[in-house]
Amino acid sequence: MSTLVQPTAGTAPATRFRPAAVRGRPSHYAFVLPAVLLFVLFIAYPILWVMGQSLYAESPQTGRSFVGLANYLAAFQDRTFWLVLRNMLLWGLITIPVQMLIGGLLAYAIERHTKRLRGFYRTMFFLPVVTSVSVVSLVWVQIYAPYYGIAQEYLRHLGITISSSLIGDSTFAIYALIVVNIWQWTGFSMLLYIAGIANLSEEVLDAAKIDGAAGWRLATDVVVPMLAPATKSLLLLGVIGTLQTFPIVHLMTGGGPNHASEVFGTAIFKQSFILGDTGMGATLSVIVLVIALALTLVQIVLLGTRFAAVRA
Amino acid sequence: MTTALARGVLPMLLSAAIATPAVAGEVTVWSWFIQSTMEKSIAAFEEKHPGVTVNYTYYNYSPEYITALKAAAASGSLPDVIGLQPGSLTQQYREQLEPLNDRAAATWGADWADKVFPVNKKQMLMGNPAGDENYYIVPQESQVLCIWYNRKIFEQLGLTVPATYDDLKAAAAKLTSAGYIPMFQGAADGWQNENVFLMIANQFEPGIVEKAQYGEAPWSSPALVEAMGAWKGLFDDGVFQEGALGAHAYPTGAQLFAQGRVGMMALGSWWMQESKFPPPLSEFVQDMAGFDFFQLPPLKAGNPASPPVGGIDIGYGLTKNGADNPDAWTFLAELTNGVGLQQALNDLNDLPAFDGHAPQGDISEHVQQLSARFMEALPKAENQRFASPAVAEALDNALAGVAAGDLEVAAALASVQAATDKALGR
Repeated sequence: MSTLVQPTAGTAPATRFRPAAVRGRPSHYAFVLPAVLLFVLFIAYPILWVMGQSLYAESPQTGRSFVGLANYLAAFQDRTFWLVLRNMLLWGLITIPVQMLIGGLLAYAIERHTKRLRGFYRTMFFLPVVTSVSVVSLVWVQIYAPYYGIAQEYLRHLGITISSSLIGDSTFAIYALIVVNIWQWTGFSMLLYIAGIANLSEEVLDAAKIDGAAGWRLATDVVVPMLAPATKSLLLLGVIGTLQTFPIVHLMTGGGPNHASEVFGTAIFKQSFILGDTGMGATLSVIVLVIALALTLVQIVLLGTRFAAVRA
Repeated sequence: MTTALARGVLPMLLSAAIATPAVAGEVTVWSWFIQSTMEKSIAAFEEKHPGVTVNYTYYNYSPEYITALKAAAASGSLPDVIGLQPGSLTQQYREQLEPLNDRAAATWGADWADKVFPVNKKQMLMGNPAGDENYYIVPQESQVLCIWYNRKIFEQLGLTVPATYDDLKAAAAKLTSAGYIPMFQGAADGWQNENVFLMIANQFEPGIVEKAQYGEAPWSSPALVEAMGAWKGLFDDGVFQEGALGAHAYPTGAQLFAQGRVGMMALGSWWMQESKFPPPLSEFVQDMAGFDFFQLPPLKAGNPASPPVGGIDIGYGLTKNGADNPDAWTFLAELTNGVGLQQALNDLNDLPAFDGHAPQGDISEHVQQLSARFMEALPKAENQRFASPAVAEALDNALAGVAAGDLEVAAALASVQAATDKALGR
């Protein structure tokens, strides 16, 4: 365990030594009551409600009926479910590292190699993050459009004609959407790395330079390890963001063609709101919850201690 | 216990917090219906019924409107009147809707339903459990599908309205070589694919999709197999633009069509409303001067052209919350078959659902003729809607899969059959 989290003798928090009479006083629980109530009402209750819904099937014809785990079995037997899982895997495996890499390089270049235009570059690269997803989706649909699209207008001058749409091709649709996601969110990675770089200890950097580290060596052996907290945060946020993916896919392809770009968000939306099958929508939501929980635990177990040790 | 909480305590708490208490002389309405037109309908209603105020909340249809409805239904806080599509959307909220038969009969007379165009009347009952003859939706507007074309471009290129599939292919080729998009298909949108497929299938056998969705004919029927093959042909033969599977009808296709960059587009009678949008309007859209329509020519020699396909564009339901508010029904009645409807028709929003109405006001002769032709077709229209959203979704995926070359026709139709069997409980 990191020494950072080990209490030093004689400086342990005073609360540890509260007398039992004070510690158990009922009125003290009132202080945590608002937070507990909010948690129960807005987090615990909805989760339990969704879990309960996943055990029911509902249709306008047959009404609502208890089906136990049948929805889970049906989901696992559905080809679309595995397609969604594959798409989510691709989404996470591609977007998270690529956004980190490009964002980190941009941050390093801006912070270390620009002076007068630093604010301008920061703003420009961050602009897609604060742009409405609807606008981003509309623009990228136009960019990808063959024949009359924005990219085609420029490529025409080079004698190139785009003859098919990437988002209309079942093989490439998911990758085309991943590109849009990377374009939009790389600025966020850049921002976190900028914050990390701004907090780098000049003493450590100077010491490394005196020891002969420069250029690539300085970046990989000194700067990158010192940016580990930012990397860890981006990894956590990336996994969460991947599982929450919805608007770009919904607006650009609707999960199509023929489910080729379906993600959990669009699949849950369709089941719950288009098909009116709240039970299956809830089932998929619970599966996402379990995946998110598992991934978070894995990250805490594998990365939490390692990064803490690096910090120490 | 969780379920009991979900169905009891929390919705009550939420509805207490969210629902607007009923106020005498006030009607709450939610819909995706275009706001500027709805405001005119409300103004006309409020003028006729002084002392009643209508509070309208506009939502984009997807995902905002359908998610708002779901949340409000779960918390018991639906407004008095809600916009609905027939079939699956209406059926999802049937438990929260009032049967309207008695109210309608009291307002319009016992024979009121006979004044609703036949295809609309059929769709009003679509998806009801066997034996349930209640109407939970009153239609406001109807639509008829068609192929719109830019007649100025056609004239410029010496093209005439295609009468055969060869004519259609030749027109598409000429449009393409002249730098225009031949027929814009927003094939990323399931609804536009469904519309075109319905036009095609009804050429091969009128009413075949209707039979198939109710299990009265298999989806592997020869007419449907041929229709699916003909659908693929529209992509392979260059009738649709390159990359159609990644394109959206709105806003992309509609904008390009309005700007005069597209030769043809499968839309419907609602396209006339473009001429009533705020200026500036393109020379093509102004008074619809650049546009006319035709029915899809036979894709197989010997077949007829597509019969009219259509039905309810939008309708309204009275919620249980609005049942005790007499003004709510009064508004719904005026909106669907009274002064509110007239305003919508004057904006050329679409065709009426009840017989005996026509647009009035500043409307060019050309638009009047277009509207009259649609009205002539409406009573003969084949059904456009699906009772089960799962069947519609399966058909959407089948059409996209076949068009992309990922699915063989037989496999695609088998997947629709499977969805149909499941929906019918077979």
